[in-house]
Amino acid sequence: MSVPVEVAVRDLLDTARALYGGDAPAQLDDLERRLAEPLRLAIAGIVKAGKSTLLNAIVGERVAATDAGECTRLVTWYRHATTRSVSVVARDGTSTRLPIHRAAAGHFAFDLNLPVDDVDRVEVGWPAPALKRVVLIDTPGIASLSPGTTARATGFLAPDEAAPAADAIIYLLRRLHPADMRFLAAFRDTAAGSSRTVNAIAVLSRADEIGSGRIDSLLSASKVARRYELDEHLRALALGVFPVAGLLAEGARTMRQNEFEGLRELAGLAREDREALLVSADRFVRLTGITTLGTDERRALMSRFGIFGVRLAASLIRAGVPDAPALTSEMTRQSGLDDLVEFVDGQFIGRTVALKAHGILEVLRVLLDQHPVDGASELEEGIERVSLRLSDVDELTLLSRARIEGLGLGAREDEAIRIVGGHGVAVHDRLGMDAGAEPIRLRQRLVERLDGWRAASHDPANDRRAVEAHEVVIRTLEELHEGLRARGEESRSVTSPAGGSELGPADTDDRAAADVMLSRGPRDGAGEDAHEHGEQSQAHLRGHQLP
Amino acid sequence: MGKTAEGTRSDSALTRRQRRELDGSGAAGPAEDLLRLVDDLAAMAQDTKRDDLVQRLGTAVERLRSPNTRVVVVGEFKQGKSKLINALVNAPVCPIDDDIATSVPTIVGFGPRPAASIVARSGDEIERHEIPIDELAQYVSESGNPGNSRHLLAGEAQLPRAILQGGLQLVDTPGVGGTESQSALTTLSSLSTASAVIMVSDASQEFTEPEVQLLRHAMRVSPNVATVLAKTDLYSQWQDVQDIDRRHLREIGEVPLFAVSSNLRLRAAQEQDRELNDESGFPALVAHLRREIVGRAELIAVRSAVHDLGFVVAQMELAARSELSALLNPEDSARLLAELDRAKARSEEFKSRSSKWNVRLGDGITDLIADMEHDLRDRLRRVQREAEQAIDEGDPGPIWDQISQWLDERIASAVSETFIWTEERSHWLVEEVAELFLAEEVEIPLIAVGNTDGVLDQVQRLPGFEPGHLSAGEKIYIGVRGSYGGVLMAGLATGLIGLSLINPLSLLAGVLVGRRAYREDAANRLNRRRFEAKNIVRRHVDEVTFQVAKVLRDRLRVVQRTGRDHFGAIADEMHRSLAEATLAAKQGAGARQEDDKKRIAWLRGHIQQLERVKAELPALPPATAKDVVVR
Repeated sequence: MSVPVEVAVRDLLDTARALYGGDAPAQLDDLERRLAEPLRLAIAGIVKAGKSTLLNAIVGERVAATDAGECTRLVTWYRHATTRSVSVVARDGTSTRLPIHRAAAGHFAFDLNLPVDDVDRVEVGWPAPALKRVVLIDTPGIASLSPGTTARATGFLAPDEAAPAADAIIYLLRRLHPADMRFLAAFRDTAAGSSRTVNAIAVLSRADEIGSGRIDSLLSASKVARRYELDEHLRALALGVFPVAGLLAEGARTMRQNEFEGLRELAGLAREDREALLVSADRFVRLTGITTLGTDERRALMSRFGIFGVRLAASLIRAGVPDAPALTSEMTRQSGLDDLVEFVDGQFIGRTVALKAHGILEVLRVLLDQHPVDGASELEEGIERVSLRLSDVDELTLLSRARIEGLGLGAREDEAIRIVGGHGVAVHDRLGMDAGAEPIRLRQRLVERLDGWRAASHDPANDRRAVEAHEVVIRTLEELHEGLRARGEESRSVTSPAGGSELGPADTDDRAAADVMLSRGPRDGAGEDAHEHGEQSQAHLRGHQLP
Repeated sequence: MGKTAEGTRSDSALTRRQRRELDGSGAAGPAEDLLRLVDDLAAMAQDTKRDDLVQRLGTAVERLRSPNTRVVVVGEFKQGKSKLINALVNAPVCPIDDDIATSVPTIVGFGPRPAASIVARSGDEIERHEIPIDELAQYVSESGNPGNSRHLLAGEAQLPRAILQGGLQLVDTPGVGGTESQSALTTLSSLSTASAVIMVSDASQEFTEPEVQLLRHAMRVSPNVATVLAKTDLYSQWQDVQDIDRRHLREIGEVPLFAVSSNLRLRAAQEQDRELNDESGFPALVAHLRREIVGRAELIAVRSAVHDLGFVVAQMELAARSELSALLNPEDSARLLAELDRAKARSEEFKSRSSKWNVRLGDGITDLIADMEHDLRDRLRRVQREAEQAIDEGDPGPIWDQISQWLDERIASAVSETFIWTEERSHWLVEEVAELFLAEEVEIPLIAVGNTDGVLDQVQRLPGFEPGHLSAGEKIYIGVRGSYGGVLMAGLATGLIGLSLINPLSLLAGVLVGRRAYREDAANRLNRRRFEAKNIVRRHVDEVTFQVAKVLRDRLRVVQRTGRDHFGAIADEMHRSLAEATLAAKQGAGARQEDDKKRIAWLRGHIQQLERVKAELPALPPATAKDVVVR
């Protein structure tokens, strides 16, 4: 049995370093770092699509700024760290720590000490549990009016001459716009390299606004998302379309007790009174004599939850949701965030090793191309060998193809999709069995499938598409078989079939971390005050705002 | 002809004006007085059998009654255009839906009863079919007519609404920024035939780059551009967005911005809630429509009418005065006849094909057509070269979708540029021709004829035709635009519908070029793919060049025809007036004593009537540069 993929990639990087000796290009450092880190997930999209809001919702804290005007102008990386920190990295590579403070609007902020054009990126360290399994990258908006901004986003995510720095991408759309399609196509092209993987998903963002804040807005959004999923252009570029009301999710996940109480107060009003308040955002804030909530309080609620959010919260409370944690949970679910996270968890984070390896090897190829060195050809062969082992990549490709044009497998198509992880990458998911199934039964089903598919692969009626599909399915089954036999133990819930326990001890944390990523529970403000971390700055806000 | 102007001056007139201001309707005061004058004059022209003058007056009446003011509402997808129009007319005429968008332009205008029709092409003709108004959505929205697969040119609706009464037409358009390049071009062309453009952007975010691009384009082809910030009821931060947008607008030019909520307006109308109506922001928008758009169109119509009236009076007076002068001063008749003959001869030249203005118009259009074709070819050739380069750099198979989309966009951009530039040039040409016309015309003064006391008048110059007033150019331009508007909008759209059917890129591409790259590709298979890809591109670019050039050429020919008809009509009238005056003078000279007295009395009465009309003509209201030239 061969070495685990991660180790193989490590070996290749070591070899590369040895070959270059003292002249190693700087990117090699980043590749080594990349291998040691969790999956790099970028959030991209048109300007004001709601990227930072979604990021805050996923992280569960208001780390990113989300004002009315265009906010994120720089690529910002969020990694897990034991203490909070913000550093700005200049184009020349120098990195400077910056002090953080909390802005009046409630999010965290810092002041740039450089002109925006001199900055390469901002790096944030934050002790959020969600960041243990993923590195989040917030990007500036596409189609921005500031000329540099769009360039910075595309330059990072879909650079002309290099492989992208992200392993996977969540792309936020409000509507299908040519700028969106152009961008997704460019990303796919650079990400694909030679294998055409589609590791992007689309989010139909600000889903609550699609219905003008009416109570059935999310229903409308679902319909739109379904329709977009069928769009032939989008299908080729993304694995699915998820409607998400980001503001709702962010508000729910970071809800404070006093906010809950404010919402409860509103829920307790008579219907006409509440509806009078909800006629418009202005009226909600302005009208007097209807509620005891003050103007500032109401303004804050409106900007934190939006008209739809307030409406939904009130109706949920009236329907019997008892407390803040329950409200948070239900609102988060309805916002669509749960479904999105489940998918990301299953298809991207669950395939971390392979996706990372794929990205790293792609960059390494380009590096060798741009900086030739003796002995490179052997290294290149090594890269090819490891690439061939990245079955996750082939699986994703197959899943994508299934969506675009089908696999030509007729009645067996659903089973094929399931086996390659379309409904979850855990072994039991792939075999269509319960999570608690015993290893013996898993093995039995596995062998059945393997025999069946091997037999079917000889069918002369198979066209080229079907032949390719069979190859990938059989390979997956064989690796699963290897894995089960080698370990001869309980199946893991969240591992990739290729090569066993890549993440080591982190594996057992995975499942716990998965729960933590969506931890329910209102934030009661503990630990959020900047002064607890001794980093309060009295400087006024100037320039870039952030996390 | 028309009835006399309605109503008399009284208290009710005040409330009527107030009401008009509230709902933005109705013709202005001066227009009503003018209508009466026009009627009087038309009756007199009828009597003297000057049907050509009667026709001129008829057109003036039409324009006074309802100066056709088309306002095109544009914007990106789902920004709230359709709802805005519905809110302005307080009727669910444009289909709205959370998901589905407008797919066909819809023109909403005034009508005594609610009615609707669809406009389609049938061969070379345009056909109009009436449909029940509640079925309109089926024809103009994506759900009922996806991608305009029914190939309609437009939908039309008429509603009995006060705001539409002054001739205002609101045009709902499909959103720009779609993946179809021709929708952008159709919208652009409809912008140039509109009196005003309103771009709608919702308050969820500041202007995007494509929106600003659209604004810049609009400002080059339309004299009157405004922006609307929609959906303010939904977004608590709309004022911040408004401030940001205003900053962006300052860099573009003088473009007003109106923050509104259609939802609040519709609700206010339903509940008769004045406060809610104020909050909706609509009063400011309606006032703007009334004053800057409809008001300006009315002003132009009034100027036009005053000018026409003066012109007609002068012409009618010429015959009468010539005859009278011949009768009263027979010894002078020889000189008079000679002058009239000379003037008549010059006017013959003036209306001929060889007159300077006519030659300039014809040559100018010919040159412009040539320049346009050159520009188009040049731009598209550049695009083709870039495409070929891209094809040579990689394998066109796997990236065909990208190439095809990129090509589509670049072509749309190139065609838009040529269109806008041609549009600007044609405006300048029309102005140049107007100047030439003026200059030539000034050489044909209407002849000095003796008044009843035998004292020579000053040379009568046509009122309002002083050079430097720009009134002629303005009038001509408005006339040109008004007449070729509807035809061209249909014409260009038909050309483009033809375009959409010819899209070999998507149809043939998959088959010929192939989408898959095999790892073990033979070099010659790749070369063949490249060759095929470049062929497809070349054929497509050729086809586009051909189609677009044809459409733009037709458009320019319409400009030429309209210009010729417009100026030609004036020249013809002048010629006819001079011919009649000559004849009248001859008759007067050869008349016998006994018929004299009766005839003289009649002529004096006739002239007095005309003088009365002239005296009542208001002074020409001032023009602003904005009405005339397009920046």
